[in-house]
This record gives sequence, structure tokens and C-alpha cells, in this order.
Amino acid sequence: MAAITENYSLGLQVQLDKIDSELKKLWAESQGAMTRASLVNLAVYSEVPGSLEKNTQLIAKIAENHACRAIVIEADCKAKANRVEAWISAHCHVSRTGSQQICSDQISFLLEGPCTSLLPSIVFSHLDSDLPFYLWWQGEFREPMDPQLWAWVDRVIYDSQRWKDFPEQMRLVESARKEAKQRIVLCDLNWTRLDKARFALAQFFDHPTSHHHFAKIKNARIDFAPGFRSTAVLFAGWLAAQLNWNAEKTTRNGALQFVDSSGHKIDIELRERNGEPIGQIALNSREVEFVVARAKCGDLLEVSRGKPGEKHMPQLMPAGSNDPVSLMSEELMRGGPHHVYLHALNCVRELL
Amino acid sequence: MNRAADQPEPNPLREGLSTRAVPQPCSIVIFGATGDLTHRKLIPALYNLAADGDLPPAVAIIGFARREKNDEQFRTELEDATRKFSRQAVRDDIWKTFAQSIFYHQSEFGDEAGYKSLAKRLDKIDTERGTRGNRLFYFAAAPDQFESILNHLKAAGLNETCKGSWARVILEKPFGTDLASARELNRIVRSSFTEDQTYRIDHFLGKETAQNILVLRFANAIFAPLWNTHYVDHVQITAAETLGVEGRAGFYERAGALRDMVQNHLLQLLCLVAMEPPMDLSADSIRDEKVKVVRSLRRFAQSEVAANVVRGQYTEGAINGKPVVGYRQEPNVKPDSETETFVALRLFIDDWRWADVPIYMRVGKRLPKSATEISIHFKKAPAVLFNKDLRDQNVLVIRIQPDEGIALRIHAKVPGASFRVEPVKMDFHYGTSFGKASPEAYERLLLDAMSGDATLFARRDEVEEAWAFIDVIEHAWAAKKGAPGLFFYPAGSWGPEEADDLLARDGHAWRRL
Repeated sequence: MAAITENYSLGLQVQLDKIDSELKKLWAESQGAMTRASLVNLAVYSEVPGSLEKNTQLIAKIAENHACRAIVIEADCKAKANRVEAWISAHCHVSRTGSQQICSDQISFLLEGPCTSLLPSIVFSHLDSDLPFYLWWQGEFREPMDPQLWAWVDRVIYDSQRWKDFPEQMRLVESARKEAKQRIVLCDLNWTRLDKARFALAQFFDHPTSHHHFAKIKNARIDFAPGFRSTAVLFAGWLAAQLNWNAEKTTRNGALQFVDSSGHKIDIELRERNGEPIGQIALNSREVEFVVARAKCGDLLEVSRGKPGEKHMPQLMPAGSNDPVSLMSEELMRGGPHHVYLHALNCVRELL
Repeated sequence: MNRAADQPEPNPLREGLSTRAVPQPCSIVIFGATGDLTHRKLIPALYNLAADGDLPPAVAIIGFARREKNDEQFRTELEDATRKFSRQAVRDDIWKTFAQSIFYHQSEFGDEAGYKSLAKRLDKIDTERGTRGNRLFYFAAAPDQFESILNHLKAAGLNETCKGSWARVILEKPFGTDLASARELNRIVRSSFTEDQTYRIDHFLGKETAQNILVLRFANAIFAPLWNTHYVDHVQITAAETLGVEGRAGFYERAGALRDMVQNHLLQLLCLVAMEPPMDLSADSIRDEKVKVVRSLRRFAQSEVAANVVRGQYTEGAINGKPVVGYRQEPNVKPDSETETFVALRLFIDDWRWADVPIYMRVGKRLPKSATEISIHFKKAPAVLFNKDLRDQNVLVIRIQPDEGIALRIHAKVPGASFRVEPVKMDFHYGTSFGKASPEAYERLLLDAMSGDATLFARRDEVEEAWAFIDVIEHAWAAKKGAPGLFFYPAGSWGPEEADDLLARDGHAWRRL
């Protein structure tokens, strides 16, 4: 039972060739008391030292809502000597009905040295059969992108917010995807970060009598926290893609300029402010200002519309959270092909 | 499930954000706002929608009832109820904003002035809150008040809409007590609201697993070829509850299990199981196919009722080891009551797909456990090779509540040198696979009504066809001569023995739940 943990330890250390038999033993010991559940294979890859423990904590929380076979890998490609270690563990929680323990299993690997090139074989050997394979790639991609690995991936999850060279990273991802000849869905957590704000802004325009405002939008303002400019630019890209605006230029003060299908110019001001990744969004048509802002309590959005400068009656909506567990849970819950993301991205690719 | 005809043009900013029709700004007027349903279900459901960000940007909730109170008192009462009955904890900040959209309108249901002032108040709310003239009238009052409310709504012009806005009415069951009263109720409703504006709520259809029946059948190719008389031996539907009448004796004495459960919930579930694939996922395509199932139900002659329907009533017994009184000893129940608390039926659907496949249904109070399940019992494999001595069939079970899920019973070889074959169960539990709690049925249904999606609501013809079927049974039971008997069962048992005999005659037995 030592491998079944709630304290985020890596669990039971096992020999590489004994992983399957040790997992079987683990479940046999707990038969009756626990139910193993899995909807997806979720591989997490990181090259950050100490990431195994951190990611184990994340998986423990993610698995509460998304039963999975987790394969957590920490790699040190620069090490000279080969070293491979493996652990097995299970993350259990009590079901909603309180009647049983639901468990997801995790296999953890520490890879050092040239053996890191064995990543595909390590992953493939331990996939739960017939379930989709999601690869959460933490950090930056680099060449060579292993075509063998990518050919198996159903969804690749990354966070472009920290990328230093966005165009180059996207080139790598897109070429790997093309080469894999597989319908890999690109899931950018930087895009997921915008879900609630997009939802909050979109709901202003559900009624057809609001649609005339689209043609009257003259400017917008997006406040972003330090380090989250790319998140704000993606939001602008989404507006542009969905409302048929074309990117024109970036002004000296960092504002973005777009042109709508009638040739009207729309300025989007990006302001860096301390706080949440996206602090406030204000969209101005000629008569009405649509505002989505973080409420004081943090995990809610205040949404309001009205004449600029007037006090509006706000409505509260969920704001979501920027922590990786929430972002991953949101992403795993949503699914879908993310074609809106790709449209948004293409609108502002040069600006990122 | 689809955009209704009166739904607006799609909002480009919604693309990829939600796969359902979008609820529109509206005022929700609840008649019977001080009653149990409002406190236990409606307001907690609306609060949960608000907390999840699913309510449209402008919503006002107006409670319409007789008792004197002001907005603040009403909000306080509802807050207490929501804290008690909501599926998620109530957050002060969200409640505070949500409560600002709740108002109380005091009036007798039969007072014309009350509706005129309601109309004025709704206009004011439209201006102040942007509810755009859209009105959803929820009838949570007693059915005998419906006519008065509907007539007054019409007289006050509240059934009419301006261009681009809508008025809809949600009716709670019972939709009549027999075919004649259902037709009369429908006539009354139709004189104020068109069928497109009328949403008859059956909360069973709002349950996740009920909706999943269509997905199971029409998104999985493996079941389609087997879902017919060639492969299905029989079907069972059970809706069991451990509860007794729980203070509803006044209503239950008049209704009984057949009217209370079979006419609506069980026949609706049967429709989902037995219907042909709809042409598309629009409300009417689905309801067109559902109504065909009810129309195809083989109608009993009165003389056939006794052989196909068993009615029962519980006597004293024990539930979970706790003694309980018999139905006739319950408060407000007549000591010689003939009301049935249990019904078992043997039905046939006379269409190409289901010819000669018996459908067994049972529903009852004070049964050993609470469970609503549908089971499809497949025909046995040929009695050769391993199957010479096999008694069990493959069974597909759809669990509606509790522990929603799907299970498939198959045969497997018992490990060892001999070829012993035993049934094993492949079991899918929603709760195990999906951590997220399903929304309450009322949340889904309220959202659908605000979105103009009537798929999960019963249509007039469905309701009337169901009553036409039920009426024959009720008439047979009410006959002065030769009426089938009422059989008794001890509380905590699975109903009267006669219900077992109903299946035994066909060589079947009720599934062990």
C-alpha cells in the first residue's frame, strides 16, 4: 500500500522492467477498496530539476476531476552519464457519493544523459491501451522533434506565455504536427487562460440587437500583468479573427492597430498593470463601453456595459484561475479542435 | 439541443465557447413563488447557473404569490433555502449580486389588477435591467390555478411579444389527470400561448443519464444493429423508491403511481429507449420520434388490463431495518384507500423494430432501495458449445439514478482447467470517470427554456397520447364490475408476488437491483 499516496511522494520505486507487474500488484492489493479509473493517458514532460515532485502534486489535484494514467517525466539531457529511475503511485479521492475511493495511477521517470532520447519508447511502453494520449510539454520545444513520439499524440498541451521566441516555437510545433500526419490538437494554456474573459465579453453580444455594435467598435483596452503581454495579444487576435479585422501595425507605444472590413481603424491599447494576467478589458463602440474586469475578491469577473464614464450595474461571473491545475482542468474539460485559437493566432502571429 | 426557430443569429464571439444554444436575457416570473418547488429547486438551480456564469447577462426573477412580503423578505427567505438546498455552497458575493435580480410581486392569482401591475413592473425591469421584453412564466402553482393565471396573463397582454422578444410558459406536471383533463388544460394553454411557447417540464428528462440514452444509442455503432426484436429479448424499466408519500397524501390519493410516475417519467424513458433515430437533433425531430413510440404502444382492451397490469399498495414493513407504517396508516390517507403505490406493466410496441418484444415496467414506493434503471435483455446465444447450460443473458443496464452509469453483463470463462462460464459485469460510473458533478435537472431545463430549446420538454401530442394509453388502465381499475384486484406488499419488499408472476408467465424475472 506504500505506493498509494496522498502526500505527493513519488510512491514506490520500481525497476524499469517491473513497472507493469508492480502496478498489477498495487491494484490487486487494493481490490475492493478502490476503483481504478482512467479516461486519458496524460504524459507530462519537464526538464526543470525537481519537477517530478511538483508535477506529482499537480497530477494529484488534476486527477480528482480527470481520471487518467499519468506518466510524469523529468529529463536532464545535459547529464553525461545515463541514469533511469522509475516510481509508481496512485492518487485516490473519495467519490462524490462518498461510497468509494477513485484512483488514478502515475508512473514517474527520472531520465538523465543520452537515454533521454529513449523518451518515446518509455512513454509507449506504459500507455493505457485504447485511451487518447495527451502530451503536456512544459518548457520550450527544440529540435529534433521526435516524429515517432508525435505520431502518437492526440493533443499537445503547452503554455506559450513563457516562450522567448514565439514564431520559432510555433514553427517547431506546426512542422512536427504536419510531419506526424496526425490530427494533433494544439492546446495552448495561454489561450485557456483567456476562456472566462472571452466568455464574459461574448455574452454581451448574444442578443442580435447588440450585433450592430461590432461595426461601431473604435478602440479597446486590455490590461495585462507583467509577463503576460502575449496573453493580451492573443485576446486581441481573437477579437480580430472573430470580427474580421486585419492587423495593420504596432504603434510605438505598443498599441495594436486593426482595420475592419469597412476600412475603419480600431486601436487596441495594451497596458501593463500589476495583478492578474488579464486585469481589465474595455471595448468601446461609439455609444457603449463593454467592460470585463477582475472583481476585488479575485476569482470573479465584474462585467458591465453602459455609456462611457457612467456607473454601470455589474454582473459577477467566474474568473477562473491562473494556476496550472485550474488551467489544465479547464483544458481537459473543454476538448474540441481549437480552431478558433488557430484563427486568433494567425491574426496576430507577427505581433507575438 | 439545437437552435430554435426564434433563436437569434449566432454571435461570432461565441464560436468555440459553448456547444449549446445560448440563453437570452429575460424576466422569469414564478407563480407560486412561496412554495416548496421554488425554494427547493428553482431558486437553487438559478443560483447555481449564476455561480457557474451560465445565466445570461440580464435576468430578473419575479416571484408572484399571495402572501404579503417585500423584495427584501423574499430574498432573505430564498437565501436561506438556497443555502440549504443548493448543490454548491452559496458564496456571499455571488448571492449578493444574484439577489439584486430577485423581486417579489404580491397578488392573488385571480386578481386582474395584480397582472396589470406585473406588466408595468416587467416593462420597468426591461428598461432598467436590459431584459429586452423576454418573459418566462413558470407555473409552480397548483394545477387548478393554471386557467386563472393563463387567462389573466392574456388579459394583461403578457402572452404577446414585441418584435424580437419572446414569451414562454413552463408548466409543471401533472398535465391533467386523464386524457379529457389534459386536452382541456392544453386548450386553455393554447388560448394564451402557442405550442412553440409552451414548455411542459418533466425533470427526468433533465437528468444527465436520460440525455445520455440518445448518445449511447446513436453515437455508438455497436448497439444500433442489436437494438431490435431480432436481438432484444425484453426490456425492463424500474423506478423504485424507498420513500412513502411523505406528506403528499392529499395529492397521491388522487393520483396514484400510474398517473404520478408512469404517464410521464416512465413513458418518457421508454420513448428514449425505443424511438427511431431522429432526422436531426432539433426539438421537433426528436419529439416526432418519441410520440411515435407512445402511439405504437399496444392499447389494452379493458378485459386485458388484469393480465398485463398489476397494481399494489404497501402495508407495514421495514425500510433499511426501520419499521414503517402501511399506506393506509399514513396521515391523510383513507383507511380503505384503493390508491396504488406500486404498478407493474407488461407492454408491447407494435412497430417494426419492437414487434413481440415485451417491455416490463415497474414503479413503486417503499421498495427496498431507490433506483431508476433501464435494462435491455438480449436474446441468448445458441444453446451449443458453452451455452448449453447457460441461464443468463447479456444485459445492458442504463442507471438513471443514483450512481448514474452504464453496465454490460457478458459471459467469461472462470480461470481453471474446466470450461466454466460465468456472467461478469463491465461497469461505467459517471462519478468515477467524470469528476465534475452533473448539474441538477432543473438547471439544465431552465437554461433550455431561456434558450428556446424545447427538446427536453414534453409536447402536447406526447402528453395526450400517453394519457390515452393510461386512461384504459384507469378505467378498468375504476370499473364497478370485474375490476382487477389491488394486491398488497409489505414495505421493504419488491412489490406483490403478482408482479413477479407477470414476468414468470413469459419465462422472465425482474432484474435483481
